[in-house]
Amino acid sequence: MGSNATDSTGVRVAGVGMTPFESDSGRSLSDLAAAAAERALDDAAVDPAAVDALHVGNALAEALDESAGLANALAAALGLDGASADRIENTSATGASAFHRGVETLRSGVESSEADTVLVVGAEKMSAGDTRDVTEAISRLVHRREYAQGITLPSFGGLAAGAYLDRYDAPREALAAVAAKNHGNAVDNPVAQFRKPIDVEDALDSPVVAAPLRLYDCCPMSDGAAAVVLTRAGRDDSEDRTGPRVAGIASATGTHAVAERPDPLSIDSVRTAGERVFDRAGVRPDDVDVACIHDAFTVLELIELEELGFYETGTAWEATLDGDTALDGELPVNPGGGLKARGHPLGATGLSQIVELVWQLRGDLPENRRVDGAETAFAINVAGFGNNSVCTVLRA
Amino acid sequence: MTGSDRAHSDRSLEETIAEGSGAPGFDRDIPADRAFACDDCGRRWYYDRRRCPDCGRSSADASTVPLETGEVVATTTVETTPPDVRAPNHLALARFDEVQLIAQAAAGDLSPGDAVRFEGSHRLRESRDRTDPRLVAVDDA
Repeated sequence: MGSNATDSTGVRVAGVGMTPFESDSGRSLSDLAAAAAERALDDAAVDPAAVDALHVGNALAEALDESAGLANALAAALGLDGASADRIENTSATGASAFHRGVETLRSGVESSEADTVLVVGAEKMSAGDTRDVTEAISRLVHRREYAQGITLPSFGGLAAGAYLDRYDAPREALAAVAAKNHGNAVDNPVAQFRKPIDVEDALDSPVVAAPLRLYDCCPMSDGAAAVVLTRAGRDDSEDRTGPRVAGIASATGTHAVAERPDPLSIDSVRTAGERVFDRAGVRPDDVDVACIHDAFTVLELIELEELGFYETGTAWEATLDGDTALDGELPVNPGGGLKARGHPLGATGLSQIVELVWQLRGDLPENRRVDGAETAFAINVAGFGNNSVCTVLRA
Repeated sequence: MTGSDRAHSDRSLEETIAEGSGAPGFDRDIPADRAFACDDCGRRWYYDRRRCPDCGRSSADASTVPLETGEVVATTTVETTPPDVRAPNHLALARFDEVQLIAQAAAGDLSPGDAVRFEGSHRLRESRDRTDPRLVAVDDA
């Protein structure tokens, strides 16, 4: 651990909870959100009436004709009497943005001079629409001139993957190895959507989605919810506040139109948010013991690891093939299965990363799931194909 | 000028009210083979933006210019497409001098380094009542 580590936010994660991520949960969006929230409140031993503010992350409720006014409905359902409440949307980074808002609420104290307990819930029910409707709803987040070309997020993934393999002379197996690793990590994760191990051959044989990306290179559509309770860290150790500390949080936007990036393998929002969070937390990439990386597509795990400074440009694929990012490697990446295998319910994903890292830092997990002795944890949740990135550093 | 001085200036109110109905917008629909060009400094851009990224001039009345010959940077063929988009959808990331864009390709035969230009008239999305050209290799054009 670096000697410059700071506690820049003064916020702790007092409790966490989540539902399993599933292809079709058979539950309503509100019910998923409420179930995760109650788990987090129980875990934190916080009474609902003590919650000062509720922030709800959800991306697609209106697009999929589910509901509107989710935050207010949830506040009432949970019995959060008089708490302030709002809803946050930031496409695929909705969960992390809701978490960011929760941290800022406690830091600023704007809700109330007494505010010290915040509930953040992220939820999505992507099974509410059929696959083509959801594909269409998500494709609306690209630049409108990209939309006119029929471009979808996997389209960007395919272009970047082709450019990555071409420039670094990497084998196609390197992408498949990311998928096999993350699926393997999900096997023993009870909240993961896919718990069947796959090998590199399975990934290489799966149907093409956006060449060279295949089905197993792409995250699924998911239902699910995740929640955290945040409190102010005590000014001294005598105060009864426990849970991992939010050592730093930062976000940044980048180009909206992906083609405007001078280099298709460079994502400014990832790089900028990463630099900011490492600076604020006073840690370096070398200090991180475990990381949740936004692997909506396998190639993104590699590009983000490089942009964030965990690996030199063009080398993350070799590190992956060498096992560096495996659960027992130098830097375990996506120990819960990542978006790839845990699932990607847009509003919940960023919070599920925090839940996984809190489990890791508290040592809650069984031995075959645990990163031993983890003290510093990192998460990145990315909106669109890098329109906006949110990074968090947690410390035990 | 301090904040309070400005609040009392004669111009402050009208400066805070944006143009209403009928004003030219920055997000104009232009054909796929044209880029915006700043009338002051000549800078070109493809993805509509409010102001010229170099000199800051408003883009509401920016000229548009045709894109001639570009070079392919990367390609993909997308098999899973939205309901109103062809499948497979061949796409190329291509650079036209300072402008870089992603556009549909007529066929799946382009490779990085190929010279391309826009050609033809196609409905890129079936739900939209407009046609645009697609990228083709210069040799085939």
